[in-house]
Amino acid sequence: MRFLTKNLSLPVIVTWLIYVFLLVPSLVVIPISFGTSNELVFPPQDWGLDLYRRALDPAEGWLAAAGRSMVLGILATTIALLMGVPAAYGLSRSRFPGQKALTFMLMSPIFAPTIVVALALYLYFATLGMTGTMAALAMSHAVVITPFILVTTLSGLKHLDRNIENAAMVMGATRLQIFFHVVLPALKGSVLTGGLFAFLLSFDEVIVSWFIARSDQPTLPVKMYSSIQWEISPVLSAISTFLVAITVVGSVVAAFISSAETDGI
Amino acid sequence: MTTPMLRRDGRTRTMLNRLGFGSFVLPLTLFMLLVFCLPLIGVVRTSICDGDCSLVAYVDFATGKLFHRALINTLSIGFVTGLVSVICGYFVAYHLSRMTARRRRFFLVLVMLPFWTSILVKSFAFTVILGTDGIINNALQAVTGTDIVIPMIFNRAGVIIGMAHWLIPFAVFPILSSLLSQDKALRDAAEIMGARPWDIFWKVTFPLSLPGVIAGGLMSSVIGMGSFVTPALLGGRRDMMMANLVDFYVREALDWRMASAIAVILVLIALLILSLAAWLRQRQESGAAA
Amino acid sequence: MTTNKLSLQQVSKAYGYVDALHPTDLNVAESEFVTLLGPSGSGKTTLLKIIAGMERPSGGRVFINGRDTTETPVRERDLGMVFQNYALMPHLSVFDNVAFPLKVRKTGAEEIRRKVGEALGTVQLAHLADRKPQALSGGQQQRVSIARAIVYNPSLVLMDEPLGALDKKLREQLQHEIKQLHERLGITILYVTHDQQEAMSMSDRIALMNEGRIEQLGAPRELYFSPKTAFAADFLGNSNFIEATVSEVSAAATRCRLSGGEELLAPRRDGVRQGDAVRLMVRPEHIRLIGGDGAAEDNVLTASSLGPTFFGDALEIRAQIADGSEVSVKVANNFEVAAAAPGQPLRLGWSSDHTHLFASGSGR
Ligand SMILES: Nc1ncnc2c1ncn2[C@@H]1O[C@H](COP(=O)(O)OP(=O)(O)O)[C@@H](O)[C@H]1O
Ligand SMILES: [Mg+2]
Repeated sequence: MRFLTKNLSLPVIVTWLIYVFLLVPSLVVIPISFGTSNELVFPPQDWGLDLYRRALDPAEGWLAAAGRSMVLGILATTIALLMGVPAAYGLSRSRFPGQKALTFMLMSPIFAPTIVVALALYLYFATLGMTGTMAALAMSHAVVITPFILVTTLSGLKHLDRNIENAAMVMGATRLQIFFHVVLPALKGSVLTGGLFAFLLSFDEVIVSWFIARSDQPTLPVKMYSSIQWEISPVLSAISTFLVAITVVGSVVAAFISSAETDGI
Repeated sequence: MTTPMLRRDGRTRTMLNRLGFGSFVLPLTLFMLLVFCLPLIGVVRTSICDGDCSLVAYVDFATGKLFHRALINTLSIGFVTGLVSVICGYFVAYHLSRMTARRRRFFLVLVMLPFWTSILVKSFAFTVILGTDGIINNALQAVTGTDIVIPMIFNRAGVIIGMAHWLIPFAVFPILSSLLSQDKALRDAAEIMGARPWDIFWKVTFPLSLPGVIAGGLMSSVIGMGSFVTPALLGGRRDMMMANLVDFYVREALDWRMASAIAVILVLIALLILSLAAWLRQRQESGAAA
Repeated sequence: MTTNKLSLQQVSKAYGYVDALHPTDLNVAESEFVTLLGPSGSGKTTLLKIIAGMERPSGGRVFINGRDTTETPVRERDLGMVFQNYALMPHLSVFDNVAFPLKVRKTGAEEIRRKVGEALGTVQLAHLADRKPQALSGGQQQRVSIARAIVYNPSLVLMDEPLGALDKKLREQLQHEIKQLHERLGITILYVTHDQQEAMSMSDRIALMNEGRIEQLGAPRELYFSPKTAFAADFLGNSNFIEATVSEVSAAATRCRLSGGEELLAPRRDGVRQGDAVRLMVRPEHIRLIGGDGAAEDNVLTASSLGPTFFGDALEIRAQIADGSEVSVKVANNFEVAAAAPGQPLRLGWSSDHTHLFASGSGR
């Protein structure tokens, strides 16, 4: 097999077509966003920044929505980190009855259909009279993204040498001291990547926000969702390009942090 | 391991101390009980009791044509996208598994990029690519010189294309990890014994990757069945899935009881499939150990 | 001479700047059991992989059954291979594992059943045919792997440290079984190990490898009794090395002087001249402890005991000679230990025929 040259067999062609299929939708929006026409044409006839000008026009509401999503993402990520990182540490460093069930419960927002979570939170906050508030949105997003913080932190903890903590304990450090002075500094990388991805998840989240946000104060994805539903405007390509750029920067930074971390080990 | 300093403190301290590191889990546990479990219980309750208590919503679901259609759509779209995702995911995972770790890191970013791209961006992009006046149809018309139009959007094909695009990464990872865990010596052994590449793939590589294939297939099916955005934006009227029905009953019909009942049934289906996956895996593991 | 089952001509391999294998020749005759023996990193696996076709040689040609197979794909080389970690297919039963090479050859079902049955009978595993490999012990798994390598009668069976993962007792038992199998079926085996005892007890010939070269090739006795280099002497069996200077070269023998002043006799060796620094080697079991002043040997040294170590079947006594170096002596296990208590004076004697002479600085 090794003596055969790497020829272009059918499976290889299929594989490359799949890569193209995976990448094209994220990329195709970019050239469109630099067109000027009011119609969606590809490739655009004239080039310009008209669509960006319209996207940034306060009257269109995109800027406000983006700002809302940004605040929401930061709030939700903060809540998720504050509770998720210690929880992951606790889960990995202790054994107690019902631990498996508890872990499953904490992780289950990943498995549960998002629409169900959205409905549950909608009904819940409606009963509390909190629908549409930023607090309700932030808590809802925290529920959805905390499992990802748990996963990344747990996998970071796997690489830590427990004997360092044991040594600190023998030297008389309390659990809190160990957590803050020994564990957290060593976990910096995983916490940072976890936080970054959690923020991206929240920033792109649409279903829960669609149920919880006030319709006159939409988040960016919610505004996009209703916009695509009503009429497919070329302005969306500028917004999309912006979102793709954020994703690319986020993934590259995260990949960089995690590879720096693994190389360091 | 109790330190004297902690022991002389008050009662809460002692209790927390007995919990040990478990106490680090307390805040999140409380939060999730209040903002996740309680709301979910609320859904189950609302599906039965909304003002009065009755099983009318479930009876309606069992008898209504609209619900049957949504149920069948959910199951069949989930199944087909699971299948498509696993097949496409296998090609990608196989390709990734046969390269150096360094190169793989780069290609994984290519796979992760669409994974992290907003589903709305992708939906928008697909309307531009697949639409009647979209890139593919325009190109076809230019090449053939006819005014041929292949309907690829606002129908079943659009939903499946859009969902597969979203779910392929979910299939890639379990398959990749089972391919990477295979011992290369097995393939070498097969080759020395005279097996051709085709034989090696179908008699060694593929059967050994089956656990990953099953996990990836079930995973993408389950996630697909709960999807809401893609069928709403890329599907037609007839492609309504259970998630869209939930939305409809909350927003248009204002019938919380019905919406909740549909949600409960959706969760039950997901649980059923996930336990099937767990059972399959357990059987596999015990079979391997026997 | 009839055609060799395997013939290597000037085969070499370089990984970048590392010469994993210098140009090497090797012939293996039909029904021969040849072992590649050498320390880790000496190029054994590299050589085996080139023969199997899993690596491409940087130079030279490989002939299997008289046919030039240097460019032949792995699967067409007609080889069998036994791997250190068994490489059994975990998803197939024992029967299907052994049937695998027959199935890919499109052998008929009836013949498959017969041949697999025979092969499993040969390794005494017929009763476990339906088990999965994971349900077998390490020794049983390796027997399945051997059955799988012989069931299709390949020209040559390669074995890369097949017993490396087994414990000592099992290893010895399987050594015996493989040896018997080889004699009974007349298969041709190229075996790789770093265990010198294994190599000596099983092989017709041993190719001793060191730093990407075959250092010496010959029957086990030849390597043991007439090592050509200090490395060979050191790697096979136990050995004592003594530094000396050649004081006189005669027609029959070489006389050497130790820094402590004693003189020892060694057989004549071409190219060694008076004044050369040399290393003398004598095996521990060839040294006798001489009581009183009896002097029946032509080489005698006085030494001071460093104490005995008990090995069950034998006793080893370490002793320090005048130049400060250590010499060990192997004696029967019923030896009176008090005579070798630390500090006791000893007289060590051996025949000059058992003395090997090497140029200084050779070997390790
Ligand atoms: N793939 C490789 N790349 C670079 N060097 C290698 C490679 N494989 C083996 N080597 C080097 O070649 C030499 C011989 O290795 P090997 O044949 O595996 O030795 P052995 O099997 O006798 O332990 C060693 O120095 C090893 O480091
Ligand atoms: Mg080796």
